[in-house]
Amino acid sequence: MTSIFQQISDALGIMVLGMGLVFVFLSILIVGVKLVAKWGAPVVCAKPSTAAAPQQVPNHGNNMEPQLLAAITAAIHQYRNRAQA
Amino acid sequence: MEGLLAFWAESGLANFTSGQLLMMGVGALLLFLAIAKGFEPLLLLPIGFGAILANIPNGGFTDEGGLLWYVYHVGIETGVFPLLIFMGVGALTDFGALIANPKMLLLGAAAQFGIFATLIGAIALNLVPGFEFSMQDAAAIAIIGGADGPTAIFLASKLAPELLGAIAVAAYSYMALVPIIQPPIMKLLTTESERQIKMEQLREVGKREKIIFPLMVLGLTILFLPAATPLVGMFCLGNLMRESGVVDRLSNTAQNELINIVTIFLGLAVGSKLSADKFLQVETLGILILGAVAFGIGTATGVLMAKLMCKLSGGKINPLIGAAGVSAVPMAARVVNKVGLQSNQHNFLLMHAMGPNVAGVLGSAVAAGVLLAVLG
Repeated sequence: MTSIFQQISDALGIMVLGMGLVFVFLSILIVGVKLVAKWGAPVVCAKPSTAAAPQQVPNHGNNMEPQLLAAITAAIHQYRNRAQA
Repeated sequence: MEGLLAFWAESGLANFTSGQLLMMGVGALLLFLAIAKGFEPLLLLPIGFGAILANIPNGGFTDEGGLLWYVYHVGIETGVFPLLIFMGVGALTDFGALIANPKMLLLGAAAQFGIFATLIGAIALNLVPGFEFSMQDAAAIAIIGGADGPTAIFLASKLAPELLGAIAVAAYSYMALVPIIQPPIMKLLTTESERQIKMEQLREVGKREKIIFPLMVLGLTILFLPAATPLVGMFCLGNLMRESGVVDRLSNTAQNELINIVTIFLGLAVGSKLSADKFLQVETLGILILGAVAFGIGTATGVLMAKLMCKLSGGKINPLIGAAGVSAVPMAARVVNKVGLQSNQHNFLLMHAMGPNVAGVLGSAVAAGVLLAVLG
């Protein structure tokens, strides 16, 4: 009978040790994940860029540089001529 | 006439024992649960069929040289099958929700209390005449509370191989019964207003963070708990294959073909341990009861920890998600979502519950590592 109580107290020891280790292990992991998030979180930069992107697209469409426009027109013209030939 | 007598002597009808018939009935029950009720069919079907095969008189499946004997020795005794499954689970797991809200790891840790409380319960059961669990046996039984099949099988194969059949069946049965076991405990420990708490949307997680995470987990395991590296290492390998994006073929194989093949043999091998002489013992009843207790305590401590975090965070955390800390991915998270929806039809907690859910997988692997290190 006494040996069972001895075993129970051993089990209690394992419980304290085990829960302690599980908490310590996962707490260190929390700190690690937070550090990595600070160092390598690309999300903060990604958000403004996606927000800015739609604004830039129409600007390009409206104010296209004349030289670029001429080059594209010439290229299309050349392609069509070649296709007809 | 002699030939006929010899045939009769070799037939199943002449050799059946009542125990074998009963265990075939258990196998048939598992098949029924898998096919008609849809309880963990991927595992209960092969386990149920394995149980039937293992109890065929003169079948020789589990005798030395028989198919199930080989499968068991190659896959389970060596610990290879559960580890391969763990690699597949790693390849299937998205840690995004956990990386976005790493505090959820605490819930995965709290829910492991079920394991260690059951350790004491299993030893205390020795006070009842007929039970004689050693500390190793108790640890292998207690890990059922981790609600993680491969971890339970791995630990049982190392610490108490003779109890493996009952432990595996209990672990998978209770995982299948998560939708029945957990909600009453969750509702008992939370108030209606707590269950209605809506949580903030999670931030997006970058690819770099997802790649570093498994490496970091592995690094910590190497430093603090090398005994857990077989489990955690294979898990991290699977996850790294998934997140790195450069070995999609390997990742797909790990999370589909390989895990499916191993599941078939794992199920059969576990079923082979359900032979009448090993399963029909008073210990089995104790294991089934202790498993349910472990599961219940794990759920309760997860919810209580989430309640504490709710108080400390000023009501930003819904305590229901604590119940998902007992692994059982993704069933436990789905149950949390369902119970949350019952209180507030517009409150979807699934993604928030996935954090503690995958944290529970890590937590139970760490707990298994502690038990192996101390008792192995």
